[in-house]
Amino acid sequence: MKRNPLGSGNWPFRFGALALSLAIAGAISRGADDSVQKVEQGKKLFQERCGYCHRAGGTGTIMLTRRLGKDRSLLEERTDLTVAYVKKITRVGINGMPPHNRIELPDPELDLIAFYLTRPASLRAADTSKEGAP
Amino acid sequence: MRLVLPPGVSETVFQKALQALAGVVGKQWVLATDEDRETFMDFYAAGDADLHVPSAAVGPQSLEEVQAIVRIANEYKVPLWPISRGKNLGYGAAAPCMSGTVVLDLARMNRILDVNERFGYCLLEPGVGFFDLFHYLQANKIKLWMSIPANAWGSVVGNALERGYGYTPYGENTRNICGLEVVLPNGELVRTGNGAMSNSVSWQLFKYGYGPSWDQLFCQSNFGIVTKMGMWLMPEPEATLGLNIQLPNPDDVGWAIDELAPLRMRGVIEQSPSIGNSLRFVASATQRSQWYQGDGALPDDVLLEILKKNNLGWWTVNLRLYGYDEVNEVHARIIREAFRKHVKQEIETVKWHRGDSIENSGAGVPATNALQIINWRGGRGGHIGFSPVLPAASEHVLKQFHSTKKRYEEIGVDYYGSFTLFERYTTNVNMMVYDRDDQEMTSKVRALFKVLIADAAREGYSEYRTHISYMDDVALTFDFNHHSLLRLNEAVKEALDPNGILAPGKQGVWPRARRPARA
Ligand SMILES: Cc1cc2nc3c(=O)[nH]c(=O)nc-3n(C[C@H](O)[C@H](O)[C@H](O)COP(=O)(O)OP(=O)(O)OC[C@H]3O[C@@H](n4cnc5c(N)ncnc54)[C@H](O)[C@@H]3O)c2cc1C
Ligand code: HEC
Repeated sequence: MKRNPLGSGNWPFRFGALALSLAIAGAISRGADDSVQKVEQGKKLFQERCGYCHRAGGTGTIMLTRRLGKDRSLLEERTDLTVAYVKKITRVGINGMPPHNRIELPDPELDLIAFYLTRPASLRAADTSKEGAP
Repeated sequence: MRLVLPPGVSETVFQKALQALAGVVGKQWVLATDEDRETFMDFYAAGDADLHVPSAAVGPQSLEEVQAIVRIANEYKVPLWPISRGKNLGYGAAAPCMSGTVVLDLARMNRILDVNERFGYCLLEPGVGFFDLFHYLQANKIKLWMSIPANAWGSVVGNALERGYGYTPYGENTRNICGLEVVLPNGELVRTGNGAMSNSVSWQLFKYGYGPSWDQLFCQSNFGIVTKMGMWLMPEPEATLGLNIQLPNPDDVGWAIDELAPLRMRGVIEQSPSIGNSLRFVASATQRSQWYQGDGALPDDVLLEILKKNNLGWWTVNLRLYGYDEVNEVHARIIREAFRKHVKQEIETVKWHRGDSIENSGAGVPATNALQIINWRGGRGGHIGFSPVLPAASEHVLKQFHSTKKRYEEIGVDYYGSFTLFERYTTNVNMMVYDRDDQEMTSKVRALFKVLIADAAREGYSEYRTHISYMDDVALTFDFNHHSLLRLNEAVKEALDPNGILAPGKQGVWPRARRPARA
């Protein structure tokens, strides 16, 4: 019998909501030097909230292959996305992708996702984003 | 989307109510900007999203906050529309039936409170998604399987409350509900079944409790806000054996249902086989313009050409056996023999044993790829589902299939239907896929929907669930004794929700205070 197994698994995303928001607050207060942590957090959030559709083989990836070609189909590998575009699309949706509201995905979390998707080349070196997706 | 006030509530009162809500949940969890409203609307709607405009959304994190919200709603007479994750795509998504209703979004209440492997159940809050529970079970190596809908973006609780289904032997999620915690619209907190005994040790084991049993009264219902749900999960079987069968001709669905129904009823097949027209595979892998540029529905000969190129029959049957290997083999032989009487093609067999990768197990692995079909027509796609329930018998299935296909062709939409076979009935989900910016097409789709409801009702077929725009139409087809069931529902509604604050219009049930809003 596993009573109240919250947070005990190694699937820390949604269930560790409190821990996560504390982590975000921490990251923001420590300022811009924290890019590495922000990328880490953004990556986790992206894989958890967007990964359903934007990992390899997901419906987002398939549709983007159709519209923009294979090279631009995996959002995590894109270098041409801007923060404003990612945030806008996430809030208003596009074609088959429905919008995400600010209860399921509050602004600070979307900020981190957008930060991750637009991270500079210096922060891309070793992070292989293709596996890892949930 | 600009503000649409709840009927009978002034702007001043509404703003006061929002302030009171913010006092409970915090300002950042009360959303009422134009952009916010847009995010709760029916994104795939067939041109009528503006009939269902939420005025705001509020996102509590606890039971106590839900109770406080209900008190405020009663005080200001502001209606609430509860959603668990609000991914009810094809049926209205997160949008409320009545414009002006405040969406009560329970997505932040997303704790997995209990998972019991020995007895095969879980206790969940509404915000837990199919992906969340799946990953939790995987990460903790818990050998319990879920029943997952083709679009798995939504909530386990929301799907079960709406009577959605997946494709394992535990397919119909609503059947697996065992014990609810509910906030009634008058603010009262109840636990159903054995949960009504505060020290019960079998809340998630025994469904009925003592006296009248209430779980189903909160399904497809506006009698309460479910804040916890107990749900039975299936123990991982030793093995599974999947059979995929191509049926070459349109009318083959008739004999296929007749062959399968007795096997399903006897338990030779324990899950719900799905028989879908093979266009579903074509529509998710390609777009219509790649095959056909003409107007009107895809002509039969073009479809045949496409199916031939892709090595597909007109229909594809997907079924799976779950259990001990030896038993599966015997059952598979019986099923193959039934099909050999009619088709010569080889039957594809997919075997899985405990320890193999879960991907091909039939365990129900969540994915969102079904959404792909929305792009079939091109443009900004959308879809709506018409889902009647029929007796599992060829005479009904063939009649309904031909009449639906003909109706689709009359308005130039491609037929896209599936029959999911339960013990005694089959649920016939028909998707209408359209370009949501094509006003001529969407208005035809809306008209078609009403025609399909009327056609089905004439034959004695009801809907298993429906889109928010058609809740009254479907409710009115339940017409025995001058709609006495509707009167019963309304009497209960009146007793539990005197101010009419919870989900007015849900399933055609309107509180007295709001009845004028009925379409
Ligand atoms: C391509 C495609 C394929 C699909 N395939 C399937 C399928 O195979 N099977 C299937 O079942 N569905 C399917 N769907 C429909 C839908 O996406 C799912 O049923 C989905 O799970 C519903 O969304 P949700 O779980 O987020 O529920 P929600 O949207 O949260 O809830 C649905 C409704 O239930 C009520 N409700 C929800 N939570 C509560 C609560 N806590 N208290 C009181 N009332 C509540 C509300 O009226 C709400 O509007 C499909 C949709 C698409 C687009
Ligand atoms: C339910 C599936 C789904 C989810 C979840 C989803 N997306 Fe998408 N997304 C899509 C689809 C489908 C497209 C492609 C639409 C098209 O162009 O046809 C897309 C496209 C996009 C684009 C546009 C890319 C471009 O170059 O135009 C962005 C940006 C994007 N998604 C970001 C996100 C982010 C960020 C998240 C998570 C917060 C997310 N998506 C979650 C399905 C999804």
